[in-house]
Amino acid sequence: MTRIVLVDDHALVRAGVRAELEDAFSIVGEAGSVAEAVTIIAREKPDVVVCDVHLPDGTAATVIAGCVERGVNSVFLALSVSDAAEDVIEVIRAGARGYITKATDGAGLIDAVTRVSEGDAVFSPRLAGFVLDAFATELPESSADPELDRLTNREQEVMRLLARGYAYKEIARRLTISIKTVESHAGAVLRKLQLSNRNELTRWAADRRIL
Amino acid sequence: MTGAMPTARWQLPRLDRRNRWIGGVAAAIATEIGVQPTIIRVSFIVLITVGGWGLVLYAVAWAILAIGTPSQISPYSPVPKGATSVHRHVGVAMVVLGLVLGFLPLTSELFRNLVFPVGFVLTGALIAWSRGQREQEGISIVVRVIAGLVVAVGGLIAFAALQFNLVDTLVSLVFGLAVIAGIGVVAAPSVIRMAQDLDGERLGRIRSDERARISAHLHDSVLQTLSLIQKNADDPNRTVQLARQQERELRNWLYGTTPDNPHAIRLGPALEDAAARIERDHGVTIDVVAVGDNDDHAPAVLDALLAAAGEAMANAAEHSGVDRIDVFAERRGDTIEVFVRDTGIGFDTAQVPTDRKGLAESIQARMRRAGGRAQVHSFPGEGTEIELVLPIPASAPRAPGGTP
Repeated sequence: MTRIVLVDDHALVRAGVRAELEDAFSIVGEAGSVAEAVTIIAREKPDVVVCDVHLPDGTAATVIAGCVERGVNSVFLALSVSDAAEDVIEVIRAGARGYITKATDGAGLIDAVTRVSEGDAVFSPRLAGFVLDAFATELPESSADPELDRLTNREQEVMRLLARGYAYKEIARRLTISIKTVESHAGAVLRKLQLSNRNELTRWAADRRIL
Repeated sequence: MTGAMPTARWQLPRLDRRNRWIGGVAAAIATEIGVQPTIIRVSFIVLITVGGWGLVLYAVAWAILAIGTPSQISPYSPVPKGATSVHRHVGVAMVVLGLVLGFLPLTSELFRNLVFPVGFVLTGALIAWSRGQREQEGISIVVRVIAGLVVAVGGLIAFAALQFNLVDTLVSLVFGLAVIAGIGVVAAPSVIRMAQDLDGERLGRIRSDERARISAHLHDSVLQTLSLIQKNADDPNRTVQLARQQERELRNWLYGTTPDNPHAIRLGPALEDAAARIERDHGVTIDVVAVGDNDDHAPAVLDALLAAAGEAMANAAEHSGVDRIDVFAERRGDTIEVFVRDTGIGFDTAQVPTDRKGLAESIQARMRRAGGRAQVHSFPGEGTEIELVLPIPASAPRAPGGTP
């Protein structure tokens, strides 16, 4: 059974998420702060960490960095009330495999945890929208790795359908490709989002916040 | 002088910027005592020419009288005519001419020892203290101070070098500089501390203003909603609605994009508004994702699109049987595409139930009239997606003043 650690500074939220996930997964630990989270994750080495974005002593990105430093290779799923572009991009760039908002219902949460635990990327429609927006801006020619800084047509198509609310299965049928291919496109987009050299990506996210 | 304004307590006259030739001193005095400004100006020139005391008087008056427009305009100058730069240049030229004429003989002891140095210092001070137009302030203040210093100090040095021995001049200059430097060193810490205190205070004020603004907003919105939720705790639908509405409102307040122009609308927020209305009326959840458009639009451009999207959302909320609707809007070049999707019961587009056909047609007709198109994709059991496409011609009436 997939082993899970919950990180959120609100005990009530942890209790709620635990109630939703308990039947499907085994929850091996809970933490309310970055320091606590890193210690528990390093000890338990869970398969998936469901992590709130804003913690009293840092962000989900700090937790991910701390765990990577200790050589833990758990998969991170960010769960937050905030869907501000800046937060989303920061956590994804730190290495989270997915980002869902707390408005997601129980079934959606279980589905998301299952998918990230299988190595898949979880895009909410909003996250797909962020990706499209961020990669849509024109690139300066001097870009270090143009491959990374552009979405292929197929990837754009997949992102567009994700943003329109389609599930992977539906996208596969619509584009007449296999689900595995859809997943690999989504994975590639996630990798580009994480590795892209573009400073614009960060600036783009910051701009959205202040606008 | 006191008789000039019998109604109010006498106040210092203010520099008359509108009628000024140089600093507005003559015009102000003229207004105050009720004579032609020209008379005052001529008197100043005469005073400057004979003995130079006019310059001192003018400078002192200029320093004392604060800037402003007199409450009472001189009856002799009903038309503000001194505001042109020509007048100012003429005024300055006349003063210089007066100085030159007055100092030409250079025989008098008084001129040599008093008026010359005082004249240089005053000219420098005039340059440094002169107040430019509002929009020129900032850098030009520094420039003006430096220029004033150069004129005053340079003039004095030149004057002293001519009058006395160059070496003596330099020695006394060094002494003077040493004294100034000493004063600077002694006073610097307290000046710096004062500046820092001032900065800190300003920062604190900004912070407390911001805090007051935020708490006022939270009080008006979030706290009100929370108390409403407490009262409606028995009615889960109403509670969810209230919470959702508040969430949307708060989110918009925190991260929302408001157009720079009140007569303009933006695609994303406008769709959010439409979605919020449908959510309120039908108790569903609508997720709006808008991509690629940060332009301000004239409301007329998006009118049909927003109405059609609203109808599509209402349609989905009523008939799909699910309580979750996804709305995706994307601007690509000169086209805006909007997709309204539900994962509900769907229907066979070939055998459309009449109520839905009517709605689809009204959406289609609306979009056609606006120069766009609408398409319905649906299969029984697989949900429905309504696709709206609206070209935005390059010549579309962008909201005036909108950012490109």
